[in-house]
Amino acid sequence: MTNSWRNPLYLWDVKDAVEELPTIDYVSPQEVWDRTRSSDAVMLPVGRLRYYYKWSGHGAALWNRLRYWPTRRRVLNIRGEYNPKTLRSEKTIVDKRPIWWLLGLLALALAPLFVPADLQNTLLTAGATFGIYAAINLCWMLIIGTAGIYSLATYAVVGVSAFGTAYLSIQYGIPWYGLPFIGAMIGLLSGLIIAIPATRLDGFYYALLTLGLNELCRVYAQQSRLFGSSTGGLYGADSYIPQSWDQHSQSLLAYYACFVLMIMALCLYRLINGRRIGRILRMAPEKREAFAEATGVDYRRARIFVFVISSIGLGFIGGFYTAHFRGVAFSIFSFDTVLLGLAMLVIGGLGRAEGAVVGTAIVILLDKILISMGPVRLLLIGVIMLGVVLFLREGLFGVKAQFRAWRDKKKSERRSTRAVKGGEMLPEEVTETKNKDLSYWRRYDKMQRDYLRTLISSELIEEHQRSPLGQHSEPLERLLLYFRRAPMADKYAIAVVEPFKAYRIVALSGHRGVAPRVVEDRIYGSQNEAYHGVFLRRVQDLLES
Amino acid sequence: MAHVKIFGYANRISVKPGDTINFHVNADGAANANAQLVRLIHGDQHPDGPGFVEEEIACEANGDWAVKKQYTQIGSFLEAVDPEGRLAIEGSLTLYAFIFPSLPDAGLRQCLLGRWNNIKNVGYCLGINPKGHLEFWVGRGDEVDYVETEIPLIPKMWYFVAATLDRAIGRATIHQESVANRYNGLLGKVCPIDYRSHVSEPFRFRQTHLAETPFLIAGSRDWHEARGPFVSQTYCGKIDRPGVYNRVLNWAELATIMGGALPAPEAMIAYWDTTLGYTDKGIGDLVEDAGPYHLHAWGYNRPVRGQTGWNWNGRNDCFRLAPQEYGGVEFHYDAMIDANWEVTRSVALPAALKSGAYAMRLRAGPGRGLGEEYVVFFVRPSIQKARLAFLFPTASYLAYANEHLSFDAQIIQPMTGQPPILSEIDIEMHKNWEFGLSTYDCWADGNGVCFSSYHRPLVNMRPKHRISSMGVTWQFPADLSVIAWLEHKGYDYEVLTDEDLHREGLDAIRYYSCVMSGTHPEYYSEKMLDATEDFIAGGGRYIYMGGNGYYWNVAFGEDDLSTMEVRKLDSGMRAWSARPGEHYLVTTGQKSGLWKNLGRAPQKLLGVGFIGEGFETSRPYRRMPDSYHRTVSWMMKGIEGEMLGESGLAYGGAAGLELDRYDLQYGTPPHAKIIASSGGHSDNYMLSIEEILYPYPGLAGSQDYRIRADMVYFTAPNNGAVFSSGSIAFGQALPTENFKNNISILLGNIVDAFIAPGMLPGALWVNEEKQWK
Repeated sequence: MTNSWRNPLYLWDVKDAVEELPTIDYVSPQEVWDRTRSSDAVMLPVGRLRYYYKWSGHGAALWNRLRYWPTRRRVLNIRGEYNPKTLRSEKTIVDKRPIWWLLGLLALALAPLFVPADLQNTLLTAGATFGIYAAINLCWMLIIGTAGIYSLATYAVVGVSAFGTAYLSIQYGIPWYGLPFIGAMIGLLSGLIIAIPATRLDGFYYALLTLGLNELCRVYAQQSRLFGSSTGGLYGADSYIPQSWDQHSQSLLAYYACFVLMIMALCLYRLINGRRIGRILRMAPEKREAFAEATGVDYRRARIFVFVISSIGLGFIGGFYTAHFRGVAFSIFSFDTVLLGLAMLVIGGLGRAEGAVVGTAIVILLDKILISMGPVRLLLIGVIMLGVVLFLREGLFGVKAQFRAWRDKKKSERRSTRAVKGGEMLPEEVTETKNKDLSYWRRYDKMQRDYLRTLISSELIEEHQRSPLGQHSEPLERLLLYFRRAPMADKYAIAVVEPFKAYRIVALSGHRGVAPRVVEDRIYGSQNEAYHGVFLRRVQDLLES
Repeated sequence: MAHVKIFGYANRISVKPGDTINFHVNADGAANANAQLVRLIHGDQHPDGPGFVEEEIACEANGDWAVKKQYTQIGSFLEAVDPEGRLAIEGSLTLYAFIFPSLPDAGLRQCLLGRWNNIKNVGYCLGINPKGHLEFWVGRGDEVDYVETEIPLIPKMWYFVAATLDRAIGRATIHQESVANRYNGLLGKVCPIDYRSHVSEPFRFRQTHLAETPFLIAGSRDWHEARGPFVSQTYCGKIDRPGVYNRVLNWAELATIMGGALPAPEAMIAYWDTTLGYTDKGIGDLVEDAGPYHLHAWGYNRPVRGQTGWNWNGRNDCFRLAPQEYGGVEFHYDAMIDANWEVTRSVALPAALKSGAYAMRLRAGPGRGLGEEYVVFFVRPSIQKARLAFLFPTASYLAYANEHLSFDAQIIQPMTGQPPILSEIDIEMHKNWEFGLSTYDCWADGNGVCFSSYHRPLVNMRPKHRISSMGVTWQFPADLSVIAWLEHKGYDYEVLTDEDLHREGLDAIRYYSCVMSGTHPEYYSEKMLDATEDFIAGGGRYIYMGGNGYYWNVAFGEDDLSTMEVRKLDSGMRAWSARPGEHYLVTTGQKSGLWKNLGRAPQKLLGVGFIGEGFETSRPYRRMPDSYHRTVSWMMKGIEGEMLGESGLAYGGAAGLELDRYDLQYGTPPHAKIIASSGGHSDNYMLSIEEILYPYPGLAGSQDYRIRADMVYFTAPNNGAVFSSGSIAFGQALPTENFKNNISILLGNIVDAFIAPGMLPGALWVNEEKQWK
C-alpha cells in the first residue's frame, strides 16, 4: 500500500485521532457503473396475452347479486379487482364449478334426446346404472372423503338394504314406493352397527373390518336359502317401472328415475359437506385429529353422525335398487364390486362430488358400454386407476392444482438458475413487485456492493477496530454509510446484557411488535468491541453476497 | 415462573409536598411489588461519572403494594352517547359517511360506523373487510349477513360510502363513490381508476341488538374473560360527517349528501357534523351530533380532529379559515394516548419533601430488569425560597416518550453513525403496542404521531435509561447529571416543569434569580416561550444548558396538560412531515412547526439556535477571544488553558449531540459575546435542514465552519442575563472527574454570579475601548 489518508481533524487535537493512516488505492465508485452495461442474466420477455374477454366492473350501475335461497351463499363467487397493469376494474369468477355442474346436469337431462337409436337401449341402461352408482359413490365419498373413515362396507349396506327390501316385497307384497324408506331404516340400523367399531378403529384396520363384513354378507346371502342361494339372488320385488310400457319408455323412465336419485344424493352431499359439519370434518383429516381436538372440534361425534346419515342414504338407495332391478343379486357383495367402486372414487378424486360422479361415469362407460371388449375393459380400468394413483395426487379433479404446483416448482427452478443472489431483478420478478422503485434499489444496491467489496482490506478493518466511532478514512466511511442505510429487516443491532460490561449482537425484525433475534452467543465486553463485532459481521455478509 | 414485568405511571407529573398523587401500575406475573419513594440524583451509569445515585425517602406508601395485570385500550375511536338506545335500530336503516381509508389493505376487519358486538355477532355495521372491500353486515347472534362492494378501496383517497337495509323487502345495498378532487387524495385524475361500486343483495333476516353495545365510529365492541368489554376492529384513516337514518335513502337522496348538501331531516337519527364546535382556539374531543337527538360522540385515544375533509380543495390551510373543509377526523388502530389503568395506590406525599426529581421505585419478582420500575414525578417547593431553579423540560420528555427510532426508522443508523444498543425495556416496548408512540414515530399508515401523553408508562423518562440509537443518556436521565452537579456543589435550588411554566406563565419563575434549563428543551409552547422571554426581560438570569432548544411550537389542552401536540412541517430536523393543509395545532389553532419559521428564532431569546447534530463523538470547546473581555472574563476564574470540556459522559466531550450557534441574522442580540466554541466535529455532524436552501457537498462537520457549539453570553434589561451553553453534551460533561472539570468550574462561576443579587460582575467594563491594544 502506497496510499495514505490524512485525518482532517488531526489538527483539532481530536482524542485518539491519528494523523495519517495507510489506506488502499483510490477506486472510483463510478467505475462499476461504467463497467456494467448489461444484465448478468438474460432478460426474457414477460407478459401474457389476454385472449379472452373479461367483464369490467359495474361502475355506476347497481349490481343485484343473487344468492342460493335460503343461504347467504352467492350464486357465483366473483372477485372484483383492479387489473394491476391497467387499473381497469375487472371481475373474475373464482369458482366456476356451479357453471360446470349446471351444464353437466343439463347435458345428462337432455342426453336421451340425442342418443343414436341403435345404442339407445345400451346407453339408457348404462345411464340408469350410472345414476345409481353415482348416488352410492356420493354417499361413500361423504364417508371416505368428508368424514375420513376408510369404510369398505358401503356396498354391504346397500346390499343388506336391497336384500331386506326385496325379501319384504316378495314375502309381504310391499309396494315399490315403500321400499326406499324401509331400505333407509335398514341402512340406519346397519350404519349404527358398523359405526360402533369406527370409534375405536381407524385407517387400515377399519378397512379390513368392513371388508370382512362385506364378505360375511356375501357368504351369508349365498348360503341362505331365504335369500335365494339357489337363484343367485332374490327376484320378483315390486318395481316402479310399469311392465306394460314399451321397452323404450321403460328405459327412459328408469334413466330419469336414477338421474333424480343422483340429484338427491348430490343434495345430501352438499348439505353435509358444504355446511358446518363438513367444515368441522375437513379440519380433522386423518393423522391430524389431535390438533383438531385441541382446538375444540368434536370430530368423533361429527364423523359418526356423517357415517350414520350416509348409511341412511345408502339404505334408501338399496331400497331403490330393489325397486329398480326388481330384486338383487349376490354380486352386489362381491369383492370386484367394491374394487370397481373404489376405482370410481380414486379416478375422480377423493373428497369432491364431481370426482365421485365423473369417476363413476368413466368406469361405467368402460364397464358397460365397452362390454363387447370383454375382460380387456377391466384391464383398462385397472390401468387407468394405476395411472391415476401413480401420477395424480387428487384424482382427475386435482389435476389443475397439481399442474399449478408443478408449474410453480418449475418456475422457481428456472428462476433460481437465472437469478443471482442479491442481483438485479429479473423481468418476471418485477411483474410481482408492487413498488417498482425496489427494482432500481436492487440495481443500486448491487452496484454499491460490487464497488464496496473492492474496498475491504485489512487496513480498513484495523482502522475500524481502533475507532469504531468518529471520523474515518474515505473508504471506511463509505462502507459504514452503506451498512447503516440497510433496510430494517435483519439489520444488526446490539443488545445490552449488562450495561458497560456485556453486550450481544442481535438482528432487528423490521416489524413493529416482533422482537429482535439473537444472532450469536458471543458476549462482547465493551460497546466498542460490540460495534466492531457488528462491523465484522456486516463485512462478512457483504463478501458472501 | 412467568417473566415478571412491572410498569406504571402517575396521574400527575408535577406535585408539591403533601400533595396526593395516584399511581397506576400494571404487573405481569406478580401480585405484589415493593414500593419505595426515592429522590433521584444521578441517572447515568457511565463508568466515568458517579453512577446511578438515588436517595430513599420515608413515605407512608413505602412497602408492599398489591398489583395486578391491567389492560390497555389501543386504537382511537368515537363513542356516541345514546342512553335511550336510539341507534339500536331494528328496522330499515341507512348509514353513510365520507371516508379516507389509509390502510384498507391491512388484512384486518376495520369498522367505520355501527352498533356492532363482534363477539356475539349482534347489531349492524359498515366497515372494511379483511380483503379491503367496503362491507355492510348485520347480525342476530347465530348468523351474520354481509354485502360487500365489488372492488377494493384504494388507500388514501376520499370516498362517499353508504349502506341501506330495507326491512320490508329484506334487501341491503351498499354504495361507494369517489369524491376525490385535485388536492384531497393520493392519486390524481390521470389514473384510469373507476372507484364506484353499488351492490345490492337479499338479506335473510334483520339485525337484533344488545342493550350494552355502544354505537362506535371506527371500532366495534369486543369482550374478554379477564378484561371485560373493550373495543377492537379499529380503523386507520379519516371519517368526515357520518350519519344514520332509520329509513332507506335511495341513491338520489344519498347523492345529494355526496354533493355536499345538508342531509334531509326526515327520519334522521344522527348526523355527526364533525365541523361543529371549532373555535379560534382549537377543537375538543367531542364530536357534535347535529341531528334531532344530539347523540354526541366522545373521542377515545385522541382521534385527530380538524384534519382536511373530503371537500378540502387546497385554497385554505387551516380549520379556522374554512371549518366546513376540515371535517376530517383521523383514526389509527395503533394510537394509544392514555392507558386509563385503574389506580393502584393513591399516595399522600410527605409534607417536608425537598424540591427535586422523585420516583416511586417498584420492584417485583427479581427486582431488576423488567421487574424494576421507576415512576418519575417532580416535586416543586410549597413556597419558593431558593434563588436558583432547574426547569425540567417535560414537554420535550413527552415528545420523545417511548420513541421507536432504533426499530422503525431506517435513517437512524446513518444519522447516529452507530448500530443501536438495545436494552430489555426497549425491546419490550417495541414488542408491545400498549406503550404507545412518540412524536418521533409514525402510525401504522405512515402518518406522523402528533400527540403524546404521560398517562402511560414512559420507558425513557426514567433513570439509567440510555437512548438506544445513540448509546448515551437523553432527556430526563441526562438532565439528572445537572441535578447531580447542583447537589454536589451544594446549591440551594428548586425544580419545576414545563407544565408549571405553561400553566402559570411568568408566575412560575418570577421569584427566582436564575433559572437553568434542561439539556434539550426542544419543545416549547407559546405560553412557555412568553414566560421565559418576560422572565429574562424582567431581570431574570437564564442558563440555557443544552442544544436544539426552543425549536418546535407545541400545544397543551386547556384543561388537560397531560397530552402535548406537535405538527412537524416545512423544515426542521423532523421525523415526519405533516400532510398538506394539516399544519395547525388542533389543540390551540396555532400553526405548529419551528419557532424560527413563526418569527421567534431561539437566537432572539437566547443568543444561539440550532445548527447541526451528530451522534458518535463529542468535542471540547476552546475559549474565544471575546471571553478575555472583562465583562465576561470572570466566568473563567480558576480555569487554566483555553480548552474547556475535554471529558464528558456523552462521547467524551462537552460539545456534542446537538449544537447551537450564534447568528445575528436570526436575532442574536447584537451585544452578545461568544465565550467559547467547539470545532473539529466529524462528518457525522450535518448541518440542520432549515439552514439548507440548496444542498451542496461539504455541509458536514469537518468542512462547514458553521457546525460548532457556541457558548454565548449577553446581558438583558434590569440586570438580567443569559448564558447559553450551545450543546446538549454540556450537561453530561459536568459529572466527570468527580465534578472537578473546567465545565463544572465555569458553570459554577456563572451560577454564583447569576444568583447573587444586584449588578452582574463585569457590568461596568463597558466603556469604549482605548486604542493601545
